[in-house]
Amino acid sequence: MLIDQNKIDEAVTTIIGYGGEHILKCIQCGACSAVCPGVKAGFPLLCRNLIRHLLNGQLEEIIEDSSSWGCQACNRCTEVCPQDVRPQEVVFAFRRYQANQLAFSTSSITSQMNLFETGHAVYTDPREARKRVGLPEETPTSAFDELAKKEIQTLISNSPMGELGLF
Amino acid sequence: MDKIGLYLGCNIPLKAPDIEQSFRKIFPVLGIEPVDLQGASCCPAWGTAPSFDLNTWCAISSRNITIAEDQGVDIMTGCNSCFGVLSEAKHFMEDGDRRKAVNASLAAVNRAFKGTSDIYHVAHVLHRKVGAEKIKEKLKYSLDGLKVAVQTGCHALWPTDVYKVTEDNPYYPTMLRELCEATGATVPHYSRLEGCCGMGGMRSTDAEKSLGLFREKLLSIKEETDADLIVTTCSSCFLQFDMSQPILKERGLIDFDPIPTFYYTQLLALAMGFDPSQVAAISQIDRGSVISEIQSEKRLIKEVA
Repeated sequence: MLIDQNKIDEAVTTIIGYGGEHILKCIQCGACSAVCPGVKAGFPLLCRNLIRHLLNGQLEEIIEDSSSWGCQACNRCTEVCPQDVRPQEVVFAFRRYQANQLAFSTSSITSQMNLFETGHAVYTDPREARKRVGLPEETPTSAFDELAKKEIQTLISNSPMGELGLF
Repeated sequence: MDKIGLYLGCNIPLKAPDIEQSFRKIFPVLGIEPVDLQGASCCPAWGTAPSFDLNTWCAISSRNITIAEDQGVDIMTGCNSCFGVLSEAKHFMEDGDRRKAVNASLAAVNRAFKGTSDIYHVAHVLHRKVGAEKIKEKLKYSLDGLKVAVQTGCHALWPTDVYKVTEDNPYYPTMLRELCEATGATVPHYSRLEGCCGMGGMRSTDAEKSLGLFREKLLSIKEETDADLIVTTCSSCFLQFDMSQPILKERGLIDFDPIPTFYYTQLLALAMGFDPSQVAAISQIDRGSVISEIQSEKRLIKEVA
């Protein structure tokens, strides 16, 4: 592989911009990958190997890989990293880069729509089940609170998420 | 009685309201008054705003936190993901520039984040504020002789530098074990104790990889403990254990019957004598026989007033 400094700079700047601030501290020791449930489950581009690709300037080349969405956000990596890279922040920064390029699975759109419309990423009508266990049918949450829903919609619409054309 | 803001999240109030009911039943008896956080939304879940934009994540989390701040209470969440997301957002908000930017967004909905409410998990409140002794005092049935495998779940453990309450060793968690032992149950160790169950982003991204990870954990529980039941303090882990064991069984990938699974406060509510049709009513796996065993006459300790 040919290493191109411009591509490395672009990858690093992009990741730092999306929150992976400490990517340059990585020494590729692999402690993160040793404790990562996603790596254990077989996702190829998480933790050490994702960081390696990014530090080699491979950003666009891996945009379609779904590994970052398999990250459980468990932060085992953050706990063990001897360099304070906070690898999960790098994984999430890469995921944000993918998301803002609309490179994510269509199944994920449902959660964004649910969040925008009800304030809940996971939404099912709870009224019957709640009644059955002796609770008020309506939750005290945004799902049944018009003002709360409006607040959530305002926050999302005013954010970079509002510019993606999803809502 | 100490008040605490009950942050419900999504899965508990919408899919597993019997877990919510178990909170509402047990906490007042244990000296804690949960108060509603009216209008609270999703934390927001990892696959939503946190996957798009850091400040949008912080704005939605901070909005939830301000609901507690306005009432002068801390937050207690029953969902590990909510605990992780809210705690991390609060940690990000310690950065002055970020706080300024996020508060500028929140101004559009007439709110401002102050950082005065702390984030706790239900397990933390039970372990640190209530304590095992108080729990023992309020039991109606003893779980003596029952074998429990515990599942703490990821987001209550790592990273320890952003959480208000942490385990001495997050790779060897003990809080949930001690809470279960307080009911009289036996809680054997198993080698995959801290392992991830595979729920969450992994399951929605690649269900087969998720099931593979889950199966390894489950086999470790079965072979090393032969537990009568599994107890968790994570609502996502609860859903994974309850819905994926029957899938593995149907596919012939496990050769034993699915192990009944409970959220910890459901188990405690049953041990305190509450009505199972309210506090442990919704599951894929049939929990009827273990519930009858828990609330059987021979286990009666005393009548709780």
